Amino acid sequence: MIVRLLREPLLQFLALGAVLFALYGFAGKRGVEVPEKIVVSASQAASLGDGFVRTWRRPPNEQELQSLIEDYIRDEILYREGRAAGLDRDDVIIRRRVRQKMEFLADEMSTPEPSDAQLAAYLASNTERFRAEDRLTFRQVFLSITRRADTIESDSKQLAGILARADGAVDATALGDAFLLGEEFRDVSPSKVTSIFGEGVAKQLSGTETGRWQGPFASGFGQHFIFVSERVPGGLPPLDVIRPAVQREWANARRMEAGQKLYASLRGRYEIVIEPPQDKAAKAASR
Amino acid sequence: MMIGRAAYVSVTALAGVCAAFVFATAVVAEDQTTDIGTLDKETADKAFPAKPPYSPYAGRNFPTRPYFGDTHTHTAYSMDAGAFGARLGPKDAYRFAKGEEVIASSGQRAKLSRPLDFMVVADHSDGMGFFPQLIGGDAGLLATPQGRKWYDEINSGKGAQAALDIITSFGKGQMPKGFPTPGTSAYRSAWRETIKAAEEANDPGRFTAFIGYEWTSNAGGNNLHRNIIWRDNGAKAGLVEPYTTLPPLGSSNPRDLWKWMAMVEEKTGAEILALAHNGNLSNGRMFPIIESFNGKRIDREYAENRTRWEPLYEVTQMKGDGETHPFLSPNDEFANYERWDKGNLDLTEVKKPEMLEFEYVRSALKNGLKMEAELGLNPYKFGLVGSTDTHTGLSAVEEDNFFGKTSSSEPSAGRATHPFVKTDKAVIMGWETTAAGYAAVWAAENTREAIFDAMKRRETYATTGPRMVVRFFGGWDFEAADANNRMPARVGYTKGVPMGGDLNAAPNGKSPSFLIAALKDPIGANLDRIQVIKGWLGKDGQTQERIYDVAVSGGRTIDADGRSKTSVGSTVDVANATWTNTIGAGEMITVWKDPEFDPALRAFYYVRVIEIPTPRWTAYDAKYFAVKMPAEVRMTTTERAYTSPIWYTP
Repeated sequence: MIVRLLREPLLQFLALGAVLFALYGFAGKRGVEVPEKIVVSASQAASLGDGFVRTWRRPPNEQELQSLIEDYIRDEILYREGRAAGLDRDDVIIRRRVRQKMEFLADEMSTPEPSDAQLAAYLASNTERFRAEDRLTFRQVFLSITRRADTIESDSKQLAGILARADGAVDATALGDAFLLGEEFRDVSPSKVTSIFGEGVAKQLSGTETGRWQGPFASGFGQHFIFVSERVPGGLPPLDVIRPAVQREWANARRMEAGQKLYASLRGRYEIVIEPPQDKAAKAASR
Repeated sequence: MMIGRAAYVSVTALAGVCAAFVFATAVVAEDQTTDIGTLDKETADKAFPAKPPYSPYAGRNFPTRPYFGDTHTHTAYSMDAGAFGARLGPKDAYRFAKGEEVIASSGQRAKLSRPLDFMVVADHSDGMGFFPQLIGGDAGLLATPQGRKWYDEINSGKGAQAALDIITSFGKGQMPKGFPTPGTSAYRSAWRETIKAAEEANDPGRFTAFIGYEWTSNAGGNNLHRNIIWRDNGAKAGLVEPYTTLPPLGSSNPRDLWKWMAMVEEKTGAEILALAHNGNLSNGRMFPIIESFNGKRIDREYAENRTRWEPLYEVTQMKGDGETHPFLSPNDEFANYERWDKGNLDLTEVKKPEMLEFEYVRSALKNGLKMEAELGLNPYKFGLVGSTDTHTGLSAVEEDNFFGKTSSSEPSAGRATHPFVKTDKAVIMGWETTAAGYAAVWAAENTREAIFDAMKRRETYATTGPRMVVRFFGGWDFEAADANNRMPARVGYTKGVPMGGDLNAAPNGKSPSFLIAALKDPIGANLDRIQVIKGWLGKDGQTQERIYDVAVSGGRTIDADGRSKTSVGSTVDVANATWTNTIGAGEMITVWKDPEFDPALRAFYYVRVIEIPTPRWTAYDAKYFAVKMPAEVRMTTTERAYTSPIWYTP
């Protein structure tokens, strides 16, 4: 119904008339004041020309440039007047666009080149994120759940007893089952251990001492007895070594933080009232 | 053949052997006839006549574990991704792949179960940066009726509608004036940002971030897309701008892409490769015998270029699986997997059965043998990878952690039942998108160079998401005992060629034998079976295919015809979206010899590893959002891996 009404030419005409009337009245009131200035600078004109080149792949001629400038002036006048008349309010497209610009702005403002002190401070308060992982060198004796479905528990107990008395020199290749990715692992990080054996093994392995057979540790593949021969502790590398990573994470954190801060500070300027939905409000009133 | 046949150490033997070593009494070991250690030593001696070096690590420069990655991630820089609501750029995409938590475009927190080892952000070259330009209200674009319409649609929340219109218009070659093309500043800055993000994320030894893009040839809506990957760093990649498809600067003919690639290598000294995807949406044009651009039979020049520039093919991804089709492989009970066969990419033309032969990997590999006989060169000699083709910036394709194909299909109660593409010809529903896949690469180390080189030699396999380990070696001398060797990889590389390799000059009277092994994803489901798919060119000039089950789990048997007809069963509880590893096997290894080998005939062999059934992403959605899926929605899946083939050429 409303849609059809809005399509009526007469109504459209009347609406347009009302807007023009309002604008005229507005302009009239201001008529006695000093006229506003519109300056089309040389760089403004050049950028209009550039826009033309992007679309038509050639520079505009004199006449075309003149009409671009004329169009720009018309644009500017109608924009200013429209805004003065409040036509930009309640327009979804304009609101979204302005919001985006604000967010982009926050993004842009947040990423200057950081100083060493800033990065060092960031590193110091996020040590976990940048800590280099431990490096483990170990061998395993593997009992496959697939191969030993019924006997794995008893085999595992026997093996535990044997390995308790053994040292690193024991020939692991003579014990247990073959594992597709091998039985010796050199200089691997706990995250690699996770990707090979799953999180369970990696976690249990992280606390073990070196120079002794440990286990069994259960994985989805079966049970693993592990002899860690060397553990190189990771620790926090100096800033120089990991500067690019710290800078990347610092910039990312700043970006998020700046967006939040900007919004929080802007939001602080408003008192926000959210009215309950009408039917609820009505119910509350009737109570 | 099941690994259960392997000879194990009995517990007594085990104790004995161990005692021998521990106490150096050297008495017991000789008497242990069933001892796997003794058996192994003999096998090893045969395999390595020379005494191995003291250090067990010396000489171990072959790849020891696969690296998992995604060669196909789109971000907001891709025009369609942006229109669908993606706001994450290349930087976010790489952070996510490295295992960091990010906020998805839909506002949800997202994190991978485990980091990936490598990734290529491959945004569309046509209109790269178009979206930031459009949404930024570029005057030139908004001056066109189309640009204006899309801008308004996106800004009034109808981004998905705009996205489809953009894809369709692009397919028809009807993009507005002002669309960013190489040479414009908007374009250059998008490419520079892409390179910069890869350079920052690349961390040799830990994470590889490749520089790349997607060349989206889509003439008439028929998908001939290819991703381009650089081996080199930004200094070289920055010397050129991506090749596009819109004339006059670009072309949608792959021959022109190959010319451009040759130019890049010659002018900049870079090394690049291309891999195609979604033949299933090409309507008979991905692996042609008759070229769609000129109506002529594929010639030697085409074959030379295709094999030179395209060592790999992306066989499985979110827009369906491309291994084979039930129409082409009627005897393959696993062929009907995540099928997208309603039409071309934008569903402007419906599929006809005669198109299928030129769309799927298995038939292309077969036709390649036929064409090699004619041209002296096989145009379709490619290896296999899977990748995501995500348009969210999130390479998240685990069934229980699936972030969808587009940002409008990130997790929500209704995403499965919203149409993904809908035209007057057909509809593809949201639930039909596939949570797949990843690329597995056997590289010696995690660097751009090592992974790229492994891709070039096709030492790769595809998975539909799980990170299973798959080994596949072919040679003339593998024997059953090799399956019991402690170091299968070492035997494999010593006695044969890995996946992607070639066999020729068959020794008199010998058939090719293969060492094949698979290990389940450490946090994933058990394996149902390993299969070898063989294709060959018969004496009559006709191509053939055959499937062999070579290892099956759970004590099932393999019949004389090479098949195990018993299903592994299912433990899936759809309502609760759970399963158990009480069926299937965690690992399998076997040696298989081709029982019907004819040394005069060209052939290829590849391995397919099938997981036990698990809940599909739709089941996890139904559970999490407490929604009831329509009856036609598939709720379970059988994830799988496909290796690159090994070819035999007489």
